[in-house]
Amino acid sequence: MGKVLIIDITKCNGCHNCQIACKDEHCGNDWSPIAKPQPLSGQFWIGVVDVVRGTVPKVKVAYNHIICQHCDDAPCIKACPNKAIYKRPDGIVIIDPLKCKGAGDCIKECPYEGVIFFNKELNISQKCTFCAHLIDKGWQEPRCVDACPTGALTFGEEAELRDLISKAEVLKPEIGVKPRVYYIGIPKMFIGGTIYDPELDEVVIGAEVNLQNEDDGISISCKTDDFGDFWVDGLSPGKYLVTIKNSGYIYKELKADITEKDINLGDIALGKK
Amino acid sequence: MAKKVRQEKDGGKTIIKGLGFCSIAADSNTVQIEIKDGKIVRIRPLHYDWKYKNLKPWKIEARGKTFQPQMKSLIPPYSLGYKNRVFSPNRVPYPMKRVDWDPQGERNPQNRGTSKYVRISWEEALDIIVSEIKRIKQQYGMEAILSQSDGHGETMTINAAHGCHRKLLRLLGGYTLQTRNTDSWEGWYWGAKHVWGCENLGQMTPVTNVISDVSKNTDAIFFWGCDPETTPWGFDGQLASRLCYWFTEIGIKSIYVSPDLNYGAAVHSDKWIPILPNTDAALYLAIAYVWMTEGSYDKEYVKTHTKGFEKFQDYVLGKEDGVPKTPKWAAPITGIPSYTIKALAIYWSKHRVSFAIGNGGPGIRGPYATEPARLQILLLAMQGVGKPGVHQFKMIEWGLYNKKTNIPLPHPKYVPDLSDVQRGWRYTDTPRQFIPKNKIHDAILRPPLKWYGTTLSRDSTDQQFIPYQYPLPDSTEIHMIWTDSPSWMSCWTDTNDFVRALRSPKIEFVLAQHPWFENDCLLADIVLPSITKMECDDIGVETMSGQFYMAYPEPKAIEPRGEAKSNYQIVCDIAARFNLLEEYTDGKSPEEWIRAGYEASGVAKYISWEEFNKKGYYIVPNDEHWQEQKAGLAAFYEDPGNNPLETPSGKIEFYSERLAVNFPADNERPPVPHWIPSGATHQESLHSDRAKEYPLLVESNHPRWRVHSQHDDMTWTREIHTCKVRGQDGYLYEPVWLNPIVAGARHIKDGDVVKIYNERGALLAGAWVTERIRPGVVYIEHGSRWDPIIPGELDRGGAINTITPHNTTSKNASGMVCSGFLVEVAGVDLEALKKKYPEAFNRPYDNIAGLVVERVLHGEKSRG
Repeated sequence: MGKVLIIDITKCNGCHNCQIACKDEHCGNDWSPIAKPQPLSGQFWIGVVDVVRGTVPKVKVAYNHIICQHCDDAPCIKACPNKAIYKRPDGIVIIDPLKCKGAGDCIKECPYEGVIFFNKELNISQKCTFCAHLIDKGWQEPRCVDACPTGALTFGEEAELRDLISKAEVLKPEIGVKPRVYYIGIPKMFIGGTIYDPELDEVVIGAEVNLQNEDDGISISCKTDDFGDFWVDGLSPGKYLVTIKNSGYIYKELKADITEKDINLGDIALGKK
Repeated sequence: MAKKVRQEKDGGKTIIKGLGFCSIAADSNTVQIEIKDGKIVRIRPLHYDWKYKNLKPWKIEARGKTFQPQMKSLIPPYSLGYKNRVFSPNRVPYPMKRVDWDPQGERNPQNRGTSKYVRISWEEALDIIVSEIKRIKQQYGMEAILSQSDGHGETMTINAAHGCHRKLLRLLGGYTLQTRNTDSWEGWYWGAKHVWGCENLGQMTPVTNVISDVSKNTDAIFFWGCDPETTPWGFDGQLASRLCYWFTEIGIKSIYVSPDLNYGAAVHSDKWIPILPNTDAALYLAIAYVWMTEGSYDKEYVKTHTKGFEKFQDYVLGKEDGVPKTPKWAAPITGIPSYTIKALAIYWSKHRVSFAIGNGGPGIRGPYATEPARLQILLLAMQGVGKPGVHQFKMIEWGLYNKKTNIPLPHPKYVPDLSDVQRGWRYTDTPRQFIPKNKIHDAILRPPLKWYGTTLSRDSTDQQFIPYQYPLPDSTEIHMIWTDSPSWMSCWTDTNDFVRALRSPKIEFVLAQHPWFENDCLLADIVLPSITKMECDDIGVETMSGQFYMAYPEPKAIEPRGEAKSNYQIVCDIAARFNLLEEYTDGKSPEEWIRAGYEASGVAKYISWEEFNKKGYYIVPNDEHWQEQKAGLAAFYEDPGNNPLETPSGKIEFYSERLAVNFPADNERPPVPHWIPSGATHQESLHSDRAKEYPLLVESNHPRWRVHSQHDDMTWTREIHTCKVRGQDGYLYEPVWLNPIVAGARHIKDGDVVKIYNERGALLAGAWVTERIRPGVVYIEHGSRWDPIIPGELDRGGAINTITPHNTTSKNASGMVCSGFLVEVAGVDLEALKKKYPEAFNRPYDNIAGLVVERVLHGEKSRG
């Protein structure tokens, strides 16, 4: 049991309030023994990164959140030669700024990149504390969650958030370090396109589009909408065979490789039989 | 007085302030500020239920779901990080004088923008100001003083950010006013008002209960040139964002028509139609063509609710000019395939569609913006605007002018109002001589001027037919400028020409008072340090968040920085030297004005002064009967005869008799709206000759990480990827968005420093190569601080407005034009530039916050 943070990427508008609230709380404020001041710039105890997906005109943006995962089996705790890192009973992992001697092993051993920062001036490692100094004063949530306007961030007792956690996933589950940060809606891959009839100069509505993963053979189908569009998100990476069928039209096959990035197949002319 | 603050157990205290940036007696973004040992510890959203446990927020219920306010304010990032602004390294620390400006001798106007500044005492500054005002008055008369005191800024009431000096100038005998234009909704003001009245904005009025009706009855919302995730932030906060998620949740489609995948489209769009900038009129016409030829519009409504349809039909079908406005005709103009245009027309005709609009955006601030704005209304009319689910509504300014009819969400019993005690400017205090804001450069360099309409944002359509001139026959040209909103350079039009104007020997004295040494301060002769709202007592209201409506005392958070004083105090000090203090202050101290504000706000009937201060805020209850009022233009829809619009005919006018009679020869705003790619006033089309040399169109929206020119110095936003681009020289450049096709053709890589240029000048920017912008267009936001390399020619700060078109919307429409104009973009050799302009490239600079005040200090060594 203990505290968890759940990040719903589908509800994030990218305002960066979480990132800035963290700085408002920690830059220039000394919360020892939980945290020493964060430098005015350059550290992101919660960092938002925009990811642009697709090509004109099928483009979406997802905002990823990079933050200490407060692992129950945290490699940083074991890595610290000065025993400066500890796990609190409520699950929060703290680098004790008074015990930290700046060894930096925690940064090397952390399996999640870019969540522990080195403060050269103070010669210590620093990271998210879930605002434990506030939680200890009776706050219900850390500053990032308090400042989130859209409800993308949820903080609380693991036991009380079971429903939400059941819809979520953790980063790098395969390494088994038991993170306390959960994500909903991590972007998968999409394939999209627009189908039109060049002769009629009109979009083709209701055409049947089938996307078949060439590796596992699993296929998903949909129909083009009022704009002749198909746009299927949530696909696993891989190579796909895209087939387009509509009565009276010539059957069409296309290839789409979304191993690395989403694909907009663009405007596809469908010829009459 | 409002100094009661709540003591916390640890010796700290918590106060409340509004951190919205409209500035005009209407605030939002209320925050709790925790202070300890004279230091701001944290700024966080106000939790409305902090002192009031039984609040009853309104609820909109639709399609089995509920939408209601949050129990906390939904503040934007720049309110949250406001410490950055208060402690900006670019604050004006003390009064400063331009080193080579000598009021007793050489004034060197030609050096404005290049010369440095020296520290002077408050005494010396006030002595100079008083003697200059006396001299100007004697030599030319008081109307030789131009007041620039409008626009946005921190929202303060007694210590108002803008316009405190107007009353003193009035007491001294008058002044010339720079009028507050309809910047950000010029197309609707100068165009749509001639179609449907809707005074005073030209945007649909009333909008009462529209969002509830949309939630119940609308199939799709067109966000046409509207970004709900940008402009609303500084004025209303982020309820607009929650609304967008709500619309999606209840199954309403969000369709975005815009050259860029704007921040709203990036997360909310179901469909993005990337259109070339400022070609919206052609797209509207092609849609009308499809409806007319297929008969898929509300013919009965057009018959009963509108006038002049035949003339519009003649133009659309090509009877007027021989050119049918078909989708095939519009495709090469708009850059949208004809089959998509047809699909959009058919979709619209088969669904209940409402328009969500924001201020600004690519469709409304371009050359001839009257045309797309008028066409938008005409097409809404062809689908029966006013019927359930068919509206136009704003995603911003919910409660503008403190009018309930401007609130599309459930409204409060009353809107708390401080405009009576506002010590700054008011909409009503227009003196007899004035100059439209976008003609200041012409007024100085090319007088006399003639134009139509006061151009004041709150004036009615009738005004647009009245001719005005400058200077008045019995008056004088301007010779002194007093500004407390020094942001021409980054926000106005062809501002390189403002540099030439401000360097004219006619302008003998430029006085600026501002917290930060930015933009036009670089052209001033004396710069006075004013405080931020953290540094004074005041009183505020939350009237635009859409969530709760409230009033609150705003106690001082920290002591003034450096030698700063409030704008009101500065003017008091000057008034005292003219023996006008008593008249200027009406005999009231600031504390007494704050108390008077409470009395006048409307809340005094419901909460005592003591309780008001003890609790720290008062929330106005909702009007429990809000649902009884009709939505939007429903009354007109149901019975147009008895509920006429504010047009001469009382109907929607496809053909404007008023325009025909008053401006018979105006082919740039003809009685029926037209597609006008180029004309005598503007040649900014991709099909014009100029496009051979400048083949890209600029789209320039309101900024995401600023409110116009405000907040450009914030360390914590400048770290955000889409806020600034770090150049190879370490400087943080304003981003310009380039599609990979546009960038590739010019050998520009992501992160390169590039030059954006046309005949009006050039500026540097940092390339962001992205699929969020279509080819043919480059996107750059306005408001980035001007950092001149050659003032009037070349800017490093990325102030795109230095090179916007010079002229107004059209011949007889005085809106500003700052989007949809031609440029070219090219890579630059930074090393060569640095060698050529060592002074500009070696000024003191903060690695993150950017410009620092040391860069303008005389004798300060450059870092190179």
